[in-house]
Amino acid sequence: MSLAWRIARRELRGGLRGFWVFLACLALGVAAIAAIGTVRGAIEAGLTEQGAVILGGDVEVQLTYRFAEPEERAFFEGLGEVSELVDFRSMLVAGEDRALTQVKGADDAYPLYGKVHLTPDMPLSEVLAGQNGLPGAAIDPVLLARLGLEVGDVAKLGAAEFVVMATLDRMPDTSGGGFTLGPPTLVATSALQGSGLLSPGALFETEYRIRTPEDLNLEATKLEAEKRLDGTGFRWRDRRNGAPGISRFVERLSAFLVLVGLTGLAVGGVGVSAAVRAYLAGKTEVIATLRSLGATGSLVFRVYLLQVGALAALGILMGLFLGGVLPLVFGPLIEASLPVPVDLAVRMRPLAEAALYGGLAAALFTLWPLGQSEHIRAAALFREAKSGVHGWPRPIWIVACGLILTALIGAAAWLSGLVMLTLWAAGGILAAFVVLVLAASGIQQLARWCARRLRGLRTLRFALGAVGGPGREAQAVVVSLGLGLSVLAAVGQIEWNLRNAISGDLPDVAPSYFIVDVQPDQLDPLMASLEARPSVSKIETAPMLRGVITQINGQRALDVAGDHWVVRGDRGVTYADGLPAGTKITEGKWWGEGYEGIPQISFAAEEAEELGLKLGDELTVNVLGRDITAAITSFREVDFSTGGIGFVLTMNATALRGAPHTHIATIYAEEADEAAILRDMAKAYPNITAIRVRDAINRVSEVLEGIAAAITYGALATLITGGIVLIGTAAAGEKARVYEGAVLKTLGASRSAVLANFALRSVLLGMTAGGIALLAGIAAGWGVMVFVMETEFHVAIGSAVTIIAGGILATLLTGLMFAWRPLVTRPARVLRARE
Amino acid sequence: MRLKDLTLSLDGNAGVVEILKGISFDVGQGETLGLTGASGSGKSSLLMVMGGLERASSGLVCALNQDLTPMGEDGLARFRRDNMGVVFQSFHLIPTMTALENVALPLELAGEADAFERASVELEAVGLGARGDHYPSQMSGGEQQRVALARAVVARPKILLADEPTGNLDAATGELVMDLLFDLRDRFGATLILVTHSAELAARCDRVVQLRDGVVVSDSLSMAAQ
Repeated sequence: MSLAWRIARRELRGGLRGFWVFLACLALGVAAIAAIGTVRGAIEAGLTEQGAVILGGDVEVQLTYRFAEPEERAFFEGLGEVSELVDFRSMLVAGEDRALTQVKGADDAYPLYGKVHLTPDMPLSEVLAGQNGLPGAAIDPVLLARLGLEVGDVAKLGAAEFVVMATLDRMPDTSGGGFTLGPPTLVATSALQGSGLLSPGALFETEYRIRTPEDLNLEATKLEAEKRLDGTGFRWRDRRNGAPGISRFVERLSAFLVLVGLTGLAVGGVGVSAAVRAYLAGKTEVIATLRSLGATGSLVFRVYLLQVGALAALGILMGLFLGGVLPLVFGPLIEASLPVPVDLAVRMRPLAEAALYGGLAAALFTLWPLGQSEHIRAAALFREAKSGVHGWPRPIWIVACGLILTALIGAAAWLSGLVMLTLWAAGGILAAFVVLVLAASGIQQLARWCARRLRGLRTLRFALGAVGGPGREAQAVVVSLGLGLSVLAAVGQIEWNLRNAISGDLPDVAPSYFIVDVQPDQLDPLMASLEARPSVSKIETAPMLRGVITQINGQRALDVAGDHWVVRGDRGVTYADGLPAGTKITEGKWWGEGYEGIPQISFAAEEAEELGLKLGDELTVNVLGRDITAAITSFREVDFSTGGIGFVLTMNATALRGAPHTHIATIYAEEADEAAILRDMAKAYPNITAIRVRDAINRVSEVLEGIAAAITYGALATLITGGIVLIGTAAAGEKARVYEGAVLKTLGASRSAVLANFALRSVLLGMTAGGIALLAGIAAGWGVMVFVMETEFHVAIGSAVTIIAGGILATLLTGLMFAWRPLVTRPARVLRARE
Repeated sequence: MRLKDLTLSLDGNAGVVEILKGISFDVGQGETLGLTGASGSGKSSLLMVMGGLERASSGLVCALNQDLTPMGEDGLARFRRDNMGVVFQSFHLIPTMTALENVALPLELAGEADAFERASVELEAVGLGARGDHYPSQMSGGEQQRVALARAVVARPKILLADEPTGNLDAATGELVMDLLFDLRDRFGATLILVTHSAELAARCDRVVQLRDGVVVSDSLSMAAQ
């Protein structure tokens, strides 16, 4: 056993007293990261295991706008048992009321996997068969409640009537489908034939789920399907990744949360560093004695490195235990709150990842004070015995700190897979750290300056003097609390601005209704009836087809444009003859009214630039199975942010007019008349679907709120760590305050004056931490909104006030937690103990 | 100052310890009194009780015709603020305050508008006019004790309590500090009660009270007074 280890062991005999902040900070940071990783692993495992159920089959092929051709259907049936579903938005009508719903038309084979949960519990075939000569429907309970429907009532979809047979509690394949605007309604596809909702040009999707033999090579089958269905804009999914949207979302969100967790570890690092510093300060005499007996600086360093290392290992183990076990304890709660299947278990990878982060963070924050301990000399026995560690560590330790920091950031970037975000976040944390340290030192100097000039306000001057005096309290409080609050402030500012952009600003400029599936012969009478209403200020219409950009200049579009959303699957395509009012051509020339020559394309300028398109480039667009190749002759400005009609791709009228299609329209009307417009419109034209923009905005806001809540919980873990550091700092300062209180009372200060002094300095420090955190949050929010979201930024006042108040409250409470002893202890006891 | 049948018992790890056992004596206005005795005789505890920093278990403590025994913590604090100055062996300056701020503190607590001007004059008087901006940690022991002296007298207290003020200082610095203490007392005419081990220091007082095991064993005029 080495000498250093022997001495370290003897030193540790004193127990872990004074190290609870060290252990708590490290354990909490590691636990948060381990827990996030464990839940993420559970979701991924759940998605993989239940892939076929979530997808509704081993394979799903999705087509837009059409059913499969006989030869395509034959291909699917060659792979296994097939279930055909049709999916579209429509209006569910009950008497005078109507509401948007996502209709799912099923065949007899549905569901291939899993079970549809219904109330009352009955076979799906009975539901779809209906009763009294009417086909049946199972409807989401929220939708039933909204329309005042009950089981046994009759409702309409388009022109077809259905009897409500059961409430639709859960479909096995719901979670893979992604974002929908309306609650679901399940009916038989055959019953939709007379509804007028699936007529040519109507917007619907068909999904072909296939139950394949287990040993079927899915990758080879996918390639085969790509060959056979190339250019049709079909989408392929299989059980290997039943919900790609969800897994991508979970991956992104958890990676982001790990970054938030790392901020927590940085906050904890402040506490860890302070604890080591305080421990070494208390050991100054021991170290000086060791030095006087002949110990070298490096031996002293090793002795304390071993002690701190052993404690760090303990803290990390505690964190791993908590982070691994807590998700299991809260398993039922987690399962209930997530819309996807989860398979909770202790997994090694997230624990190893958390241990790595914890180890690197512990090393980073302890090496500096440990390096400083090498400077403690034997002379400290006679002088400076209480002064602790200070000065710069040797260059080798500074370099080591730099390397560890690089390793920590590198590990986060590599393991999260979000390199740029990690670098930005690391830069942000580092910048916030530096700013907070500088601010703490600045506020100390400012407080000192003010204290010397304030002559009248006694309590304030005392508090300012204490903040500005020597000691590390101001720095520890401002940095630890400030970092935690910065994350919360940033989340608060970004969330409020995003929500404001969607639900605050948008309704003022957005239309009241977005209408789809208007048949060509319905367009003129619909327009006439709407224009006759005084409440309607504007109506925009456009023909609407769905098309897939399959080739760019003769090459496969996906190969040329990669993963850009414009070439991913089918998009809305329109045509126009003359230049539509308000259209701004940025480059090239419009084809002109009455043009009947070869097809031409006008493309959205911004998206064209992203795709690298220039005038003269040829695009091949597949519309309803027919390839149309045309050159781009102009670029247009398209603003998608107002909620109005905007198409990326417009062709000249003769190129598309012959294809079966419908029209879409936007109606700008006074809010008070919105309900009446919907009622009259739906009565006259039962096949059309009206999406109330306000409802859609609310739905998006809800989703956004959920994401913000997840991030806020992550940030709260950071704040709790900050709180522990605060408590640790206040606890460490208690002795000094008891002494200060005794001296003040000796000189004639009342207990209320002493309390006011302590409280005021807590408030000052909390206000500083909150203020700086708010500035950091505003900077982050501004950056994200202006550069990433490309929208305006406004300071969220509510969040700002909360942050400042939170900062003050946190310091005040922790300060007051340790104010009791200074107030009640008799001065004589304290002062004599120091004699 | 009047003490009558004063006792003090404290709860310690080894049980209740009787520190003071029935102390009675008076101190006249303007008198200088030396409290002497071996370590553990109770002299510092007695001084603490006289300053209201410790509560007597029984008996009477009267200062300036006011009974200190029924006063609450805040009442005692106010009484000290208005009437007493205390000097300790370990100086007890507030480490987060500069020398000037430490000296101005009693005046500020008393709500005096010119606290800093007067504190500055007082610092000057103890020879530390140029060190007002320095924190205690930046000063030597002797300098810190001079700041403590300035703080004790700045509000012109009627009673000055000093607990072995030279205990932590070398002989030369100790003498300088004592000269200052007596000089300040002479100038303002306060009653001085001085706890000391040193027979030489005690001899500078008008009267010497000696304690042993918590009781007064002698109360006599000093050589200087004789």
